[in-house]
Amino acid sequence: MPVWLDDFLWTYQNVVYALGINGLLALSMYVVLAVGQLSLGQAAFMGMGAYSSALLTLKLHLPFAVVLPAATIPPVLFALAIGTPTLRLSGVYLAIATIGLGEVLRAVYLNVDALGGALGISGIPERAGMVSIYGLLIVALAVLWLVARSGIGRAMEAMREDEIAAAVMGVNVRRYRLGALLASAVLAGAAGALSAHVSSFIGPNEYGFEPAVTILSYALLGGISSPFAPVAGAWILTLLPEALRGFADLRLVFNGLIIVVVVLFLPNGLLPLRMRRWVK
Amino acid sequence: MKRTHFLAGAAALVASAALPSLAAAQVQVGAIEILTGPAAAYGIAIKAGLDLALAEVNAKGVLGGQKIVLTVEDSAGNKDQAINAARKLIGRDKAVIIIGPTLSNEMFAVGPVTNERKVPTVGTSTTAAGITEMGPYIFRTSLPESDVVPVTFKKAQARGVKTIALMYANDDAFSKSGFDVMKAAAEKLGLKILTIETFGSKDTDFAAQLTKIKALKPDAIGISALVEPVSGVVLQARQLGIGKETLLLGGNGANSPKLGDIAGAAADGMLVGSPWFIAKPDAVNTKFVADFKAKYGKDPDQFAAQAYDTMKIVAQAIDRAGAADSEKITAALGKTDFSGVMGPFKFTAGRDPASSEGVVVLEMRGGKFAIAQ
Repeated sequence: MPVWLDDFLWTYQNVVYALGINGLLALSMYVVLAVGQLSLGQAAFMGMGAYSSALLTLKLHLPFAVVLPAATIPPVLFALAIGTPTLRLSGVYLAIATIGLGEVLRAVYLNVDALGGALGISGIPERAGMVSIYGLLIVALAVLWLVARSGIGRAMEAMREDEIAAAVMGVNVRRYRLGALLASAVLAGAAGALSAHVSSFIGPNEYGFEPAVTILSYALLGGISSPFAPVAGAWILTLLPEALRGFADLRLVFNGLIIVVVVLFLPNGLLPLRMRRWVK
Repeated sequence: MKRTHFLAGAAALVASAALPSLAAAQVQVGAIEILTGPAAAYGIAIKAGLDLALAEVNAKGVLGGQKIVLTVEDSAGNKDQAINAARKLIGRDKAVIIIGPTLSNEMFAVGPVTNERKVPTVGTSTTAAGITEMGPYIFRTSLPESDVVPVTFKKAQARGVKTIALMYANDDAFSKSGFDVMKAAAEKLGLKILTIETFGSKDTDFAAQLTKIKALKPDAIGISALVEPVSGVVLQARQLGIGKETLLLGGNGANSPKLGDIAGAAADGMLVGSPWFIAKPDAVNTKFVADFKAKYGKDPDQFAAQAYDTMKIVAQAIDRAGAADSEKITAALGKTDFSGVMGPFKFTAGRDPASSEGVVVLEMRGGKFAIAQ
């Protein structure tokens, strides 16, 4: 490999990883939005995945191939436990309840010494790479794309448009809601484990309210017409701050401005086309 | 070797274009600081200190007249952006040494990256424990709290303090780390810790904790938090009737002129340790303060002072290394023997500042800091 290409890849390695990881997070948002639920627990699931994977690697010295799937178990169990009571809620009430859960977990990270408290956990080895991150993203996209085209996808779409009508037509609304929440937990938990193993440090403040909103904005910017749309949104929001480095002090201003313009002129997201129209 | 080839190639290209060989006559230095977002005040102060020192350094040049080119990248206080900035500075700008990043959390993320590429990295404001243990290329010029707090506590003990209550913000790495140091310092000096109370960085009501502390009647209260919550604690302590007989002790977070701005006369008598003080009378410091005021129209703070010294330490190390080469600069940095606005400076074998001689204990008087007697 020529030196300049090697340098180029090394320089942007973290950005490339972040694109993959944020893509997975966008998908974890997509699966709940796709059934018409506004659940903001993704950052909390991500944090559980990140913390449990870091502890498994540092304390038990397990290989990453074991750590990655194992790290999705705590978020899934958590989603099961909270699923039954919270899924009775909907709309903004569900959003508030799930934000609350994220804050509860943040308080746990801060007050449990084994989790490093406010100092977080540092010295996590770099185990995740192109293969694990993008392999997972491609698999997740393929599965969600197939699901969206199947009968399940149609049921999900019906729920999104009108839940009562869907229930009347025989869609088991509760089962779909819980399924979506579990899928969301798996995706976010895996993304958390991957991110912990590329950036060597995790702290309790990385999984609170702000990242929850960032993950939501990936899906809002991209749209939820197909699983590819939220990933596109995540990529744009991840690349923008880096692409705008040249603006120095005005960087965040331009970043915000571009997002506002997109939301104003493309209210259904960047990829508003319905997937089935492409396929036909 | 790669780098010298690249430089030689660039020099040849420039020379063939019949221009003065500018590329060979510059040394690339990178800095990662918070220039946007809520914590931007720190990064902007540091950048100001770096720029001021850079102008002085470049008047003479290093390595026999070469100019240092300083590229400052914004991290916005975000660890991912800090990593991206480090990778860009090393991979694209070919920086031979990196200054920063601003926060300890960012350093924990950036350190492994720069250390892997063997590019020396010098923190100017990272005070948490464990920073320099990340690897042989990670340095810091900021005194860790473990060097500053014991000096403050010793001063308090000399004033007759025997019992102490500790308070800290438990949701912020800086405050937690400062508290660990306070606890260790109190134990080492044989001060009796009556209670340990916690609060959140964004809390505005500390009445429950302070009422409990008041009932215990400690000789002193040690507070580890950023300046805003510290000011809130101090104001409320006075409102609840905790008087001047209880000595208030602050960590590095309280070391900000904002303490006087927010808490005013309520903070009078509070002791705060500082690696630097604006009214230090030596010639180097008075010149720095005057130059800073002339250039930026405001007083420098501790972060600007630390950055000013660091830029000069880095420039000297490049000079002594004899080449713009990361490996040689790292070796030269280890042999630093410098005297700046913070006082005499050397690195320990563990790449931390060697001496806490420059630490002064400050006392709040009438809303302003003065040297404690």
